Amino acid sequence: MSPQVLEIVVWVIKVHVIFVAMTAVAALTTLAERKVSAWMQYRHGPNRVGPQGILQPLADGVKFIFKESLVPDGANKWMFRIAPALAAMPAMLTVAVIPFGPDVTLFGVTTPFSITDLDVGVMYILAIGGLSVYGVIVGGWASNSKYSLLGSLRASAQMVSYELSLILAILAVVAVSGTLDLREVVMQQKTLGQWNIFYQPVAFVLFLIAAFAETNRHPFDFAECEPELVSGFHTEYSAMRFALFALGEYCAMIVMSSLAVTLWFGGFSVPFMPEAHWAIGIAAFCAKVTFFLFLFLWVRWTLPRFRFDQLMNLGWKVMLPIALVNLFLTGAVISYAPQLKALWPQVAAVWNGGR
Amino acid sequence: MAEILFYVLSAIALASAAGVVLAKSPMMSVLSLLGSFFCLAVIYLLAGFQFLAAAQILVYAGAILVLFLFVIMLLNLGDMGAVAERSNALLEGTAAKLGAVLALGIGIVGLVAASRAAFRPVEVEPGKGLDDLNALALQLFGRYSLPFEAASILLLSTMVAVIALAKRQRKTDRGGGKA
Repeated sequence: MSPQVLEIVVWVIKVHVIFVAMTAVAALTTLAERKVSAWMQYRHGPNRVGPQGILQPLADGVKFIFKESLVPDGANKWMFRIAPALAAMPAMLTVAVIPFGPDVTLFGVTTPFSITDLDVGVMYILAIGGLSVYGVIVGGWASNSKYSLLGSLRASAQMVSYELSLILAILAVVAVSGTLDLREVVMQQKTLGQWNIFYQPVAFVLFLIAAFAETNRHPFDFAECEPELVSGFHTEYSAMRFALFALGEYCAMIVMSSLAVTLWFGGFSVPFMPEAHWAIGIAAFCAKVTFFLFLFLWVRWTLPRFRFDQLMNLGWKVMLPIALVNLFLTGAVISYAPQLKALWPQVAAVWNGGR
Repeated sequence: MAEILFYVLSAIALASAAGVVLAKSPMMSVLSLLGSFFCLAVIYLLAGFQFLAAAQILVYAGAILVLFLFVIMLLNLGDMGAVAERSNALLEGTAAKLGAVLALGIGIVGLVAASRAAFRPVEVEPGKGLDDLNALALQLFGRYSLPFEAASILLLSTMVAVIALAKRQRKTDRGGGKA
């Protein structure tokens, strides 16, 4: 095979492997959600389909496909139909730049284990991820129902507000790393002491809170908010279209978890094993992501829902100022670190002389 | 290949830009604009400007258009078609809109020409495109920091002015109610 053909073949395989794995993990997360909630509430949860209910997502999928997909009478038909796709697409597109593992060598071919490594990977994720709000807005608006409209208004207001804090938190890490390339960010965190969580803990907390709000998860799931809004922007959706909204939500959770791992927790690097085999690297990445996915579920079944005005206050009056100050301080320290270091012996001398 | 893609994308961008002006429902206008922005972003990518493409989507598609959608949803304008069909307003409206777009386009071309005459184009180091983030940042915050800051102050003052106007309106409303 000529090198060009080989490259295309490798690329097609990578796209399929990562995309299928993503969809499978999203499906399994729906099962995990029900299982975890069951354990927390002292129930069994789904356990009829397959051993321990492991095939439940498959059964759900079949059910979704065969159910009737209703379009409400007064709805804008065309937009009602494309909204689920708009909701599911951004999360799936952002997977393209996440570095899942180091260079993989299989059958004598070595290739980095990610679909592509963009120089502006962080920008790409933020740009495409920011589009997920369109699915919510268009879906809620096209349904022509008051619950859907209110739900989508709330959801989009929340997503736009928290996107600011999210971006500023990520920018602080970018400032520390000095690059927008996600693989490069991981490469700089080879050992445990280099993990960004030790340099940007505040940014991580901000990111985590904003990630919950961005994915419309508890305790910020005002888009649904059953007691007030039935189920928010997807009230009128049924069958596979509803499933696409759910798929988008779970894919977004996976992307957010991957992003947290990549930016703060060393990505695919393994603590105390800087030269680990690629399989171990991928396994480490999956383990870290699994923890964050569990955190999403854990929080959902533990904390009560906030009130919407509390959410907005938190976003604009608490998180945004903290994120700005954090970014400013980070920039100041990076810019003046050499001077501070040069100043240090003098400070130490004065200190010691004073004793 | 790239050339064909460029022409196809340009055609789609122009068609959806026309859709923005011609669409009957404001929601469709916004979605057409979204399509137009996307085609532009891909054209930037074809030209090798990754950062510009990402910034285009992040700022225009991700932030500004979402605000447009917000306003449209809150105002609930609905379908403008019914209004237009009543008289021959659709045609007149279209002519007026097209005229406005043409005027704006000519204005922008003039502005670009004028600014090109005023500012020399950015010198790029050989081998390093403008896409190199460091080079871009140095140009933006070094040589062009004054125009850059001026633009942001302009935007800020616009925002403050809008808020001031809106507030004043509400105050007189309330006063009128009391009297």
